[in-house]
Amino acid sequence: MPPSPRQRARLDAAVFLGPALVLLGLFFVFPIVVNLFVAVSEMNQTVRFGAFSGREAMKLFRPNPEALLGFELRPVFLSALSLTVTFTALTLLFFNVGLALVLALATTALPDRQGAFFRSVWLLPRMSPSVVYALLWIWVVDSSPRGLLNQIAMGLFGLETPLNLRLDHPMLVIVLANGFIGASLGMIIFTSAIRSIPGHLFHAARVDGAGPFSVIRHVVLPALRWPIGYITIYQTLALIVSFEYIFLIMGPARQTMTLAMLAYTRTLAPGIGAGQYAYGAAILLILIGIGIGLGLLLWRFIDMNRLLQRPRIETL
Amino acid sequence: MKPLRLTACLAVATALAAPLAAPVAAEEVTIDLWSRADRSGPLRAQNIVDAAALVNRMFEAAGSPTRVKINLIETNHEGFDADALDVLKAHSVGQTPDIIVAAHEWIGAFVEAGMAANLEAHIAANPWFYDDIIPGLWESVTYRGERYGIPQDSEVRMMFFNNDILRKMGKSEEFIADLPAAVNRGEFTAWDYCDLAAEAVSSGAAEVGWVHRPNVGPDFQMVMAAFGIRIYNPEAAKLQITRSGLETYYGWLKHCVDNGSLPADITSWSWDSVHGAFRGGKALSQLHGIWNVGPHQQAFGLDPHDQEGFFRQFTWTNAPASEKGGRPANLSHPIIYVVAEGPQKDLAAMLVGLASLPVPNTEHAVTTNHTPITHGQTAMPRFLRDGWALIAGVPLLEYAEYMPNHARIGQFNAITYQGVQAVETGEMTPSEAAAMVIEELETELGDDVIILD
Repeated sequence: MPPSPRQRARLDAAVFLGPALVLLGLFFVFPIVVNLFVAVSEMNQTVRFGAFSGREAMKLFRPNPEALLGFELRPVFLSALSLTVTFTALTLLFFNVGLALVLALATTALPDRQGAFFRSVWLLPRMSPSVVYALLWIWVVDSSPRGLLNQIAMGLFGLETPLNLRLDHPMLVIVLANGFIGASLGMIIFTSAIRSIPGHLFHAARVDGAGPFSVIRHVVLPALRWPIGYITIYQTLALIVSFEYIFLIMGPARQTMTLAMLAYTRTLAPGIGAGQYAYGAAILLILIGIGIGLGLLLWRFIDMNRLLQRPRIETL
Repeated sequence: MKPLRLTACLAVATALAAPLAAPVAAEEVTIDLWSRADRSGPLRAQNIVDAAALVNRMFEAAGSPTRVKINLIETNHEGFDADALDVLKAHSVGQTPDIIVAAHEWIGAFVEAGMAANLEAHIAANPWFYDDIIPGLWESVTYRGERYGIPQDSEVRMMFFNNDILRKMGKSEEFIADLPAAVNRGEFTAWDYCDLAAEAVSSGAAEVGWVHRPNVGPDFQMVMAAFGIRIYNPEAAKLQITRSGLETYYGWLKHCVDNGSLPADITSWSWDSVHGAFRGGKALSQLHGIWNVGPHQQAFGLDPHDQEGFFRQFTWTNAPASEKGGRPANLSHPIIYVVAEGPQKDLAAMLVGLASLPVPNTEHAVTTNHTPITHGQTAMPRFLRDGWALIAGVPLLEYAEYMPNHARIGQFNAITYQGVQAVETGEMTPSEAAAMVIEELETELGDDVIILD
């Protein structure tokens, strides 16, 4: 007997949506559930679930009778939280969105070939293996006079004592290192968005007497609203959990111990007090909470719903 | 049908007769050996492999078909802490190896996880293997009064000095020659050490005063001991810490950074940079261990057998005491074989016993500059010829302590190291760092740590 239209519709939904739902469940929802279980367990040194007492998770807090709930986050987490916010905000503002926009505007203003050349140069960091990229940064900011930055500062600008950015400005180092890599994604998305602006709008603006900045302000930027919103959300979520380059360049330095780094050093990082799996998972719960909250907030703020609406094709 | 039936009958008959006709199949017993790929002790694993080869030769001579195969699981961790955590992970998912090469202080964690086998009966039953082992070494494998491992080596740690830099600073040969004794007498303190290193930099004789390891490790505990900090309470079987002791110790590190003798960012250096600073002749002094003698000689182009040449180039001392007249400190950190609980633990233990015999252990000791495990080894010609550095290092052992075999010692060391980082980089004052470390210890270790003041 052939299936009824309703059965058919259900079958189609299962066939088309099923794989995506399974993948979402397996790789997005399931890890969060596992993390939750680990966080409330006492998993320490061995990866066995013992009692589920929440003892390790409670280490995030300390009692404070004056606090609203009678307890507060311990200083180590407050400091990690503030470093995470600083790192994410600076990288996002100056590089992943800011520099990406400048690059997209600049390279699309150039003749096509030159623009493509400069864009591919900015893609190079993204293409290099992370360890190689980190090693280059370590050489650049090396505190001895042999470091690239010091060779330039002392050789060209006559600086007498070598700079030690990793010690004196660690945040700057990780923002620069992450930013130079992160700018490329935004650059490509923004470039493609700028390219899709109908040419007649630029011509019309020019005829009306608009200069380059007016064209950017009144023609380009309004068209980039959605891509900027998307890149901001995407990169914010990526940056708050990012630790790869921080660890490779700074090691377990306290001045760059963001929440993601803290979770990594407490669980899996080599030789610096790792093995506290439940404790690390509890830190990750904070990150997951922040990620979900921030994602929803930005979604609302940037009005992503409108972006994802069915396109309204003009009828002639 | 008939030919087919005949063929089938033949096939069945052949299959049934095969075990009778063929030679007896060899029975292979596989022992999983977990070892870190450690450049300062490759023979710890190889000696087990060689022990299995010896056992196989015995089986062969006895006409036995049994053969022992070693499956070497060689890990690539930078340190023994990360390695121990990995083997605990393997254990918790049912992939426990039979023999583990580990740092002794992990014994507690291994026993608590149900991984390490109690070796008391094995040791008592096999005096050929173990009766000559230096008694003090057993302490390093004892947890709650019983032995759970076999020590493979021991070592001493020291402050290495580059004598050329001392000479360039204008120090007399008498001063240089008396330095180890001055440290032992308590006349040359930790503060004097930093000041001397600072003088090396300010006089232009060295680029760097002194360097320590860039990560968590036993060297810091040795210095803490020289500051009178006792981190273990054997009666209560708990770790302990003193706030005032920590403050003084961190205060000393701050002094070293402030006077320019210790690089403020050394905790973010690589190992290569740390070794390179001393072996490249840029640093006056390095805090590390006796296994560096070989690489130091190589870096300075010295003959490995030339003891006199070595001490013309280098001086070594204990970690100086923090106060005039105080006792200096040293730290011995044995690496041990642990046999895991399991059906093959008896065979694994016998292999460990064979690998701990004087000949293989001396080979390990003299090729990597680790002190031997038995009294008898010190009289072996091989040891006397190639182990001069170890003999020279023995007087330092008088001041040596072990790291406590407490299950949470890894975490304890990591937390006190955070204080080192915080003070050296200028993030915190010594008292802030001590307060932070004590709060972290109280929170993370709970009842396992006693705060003394």
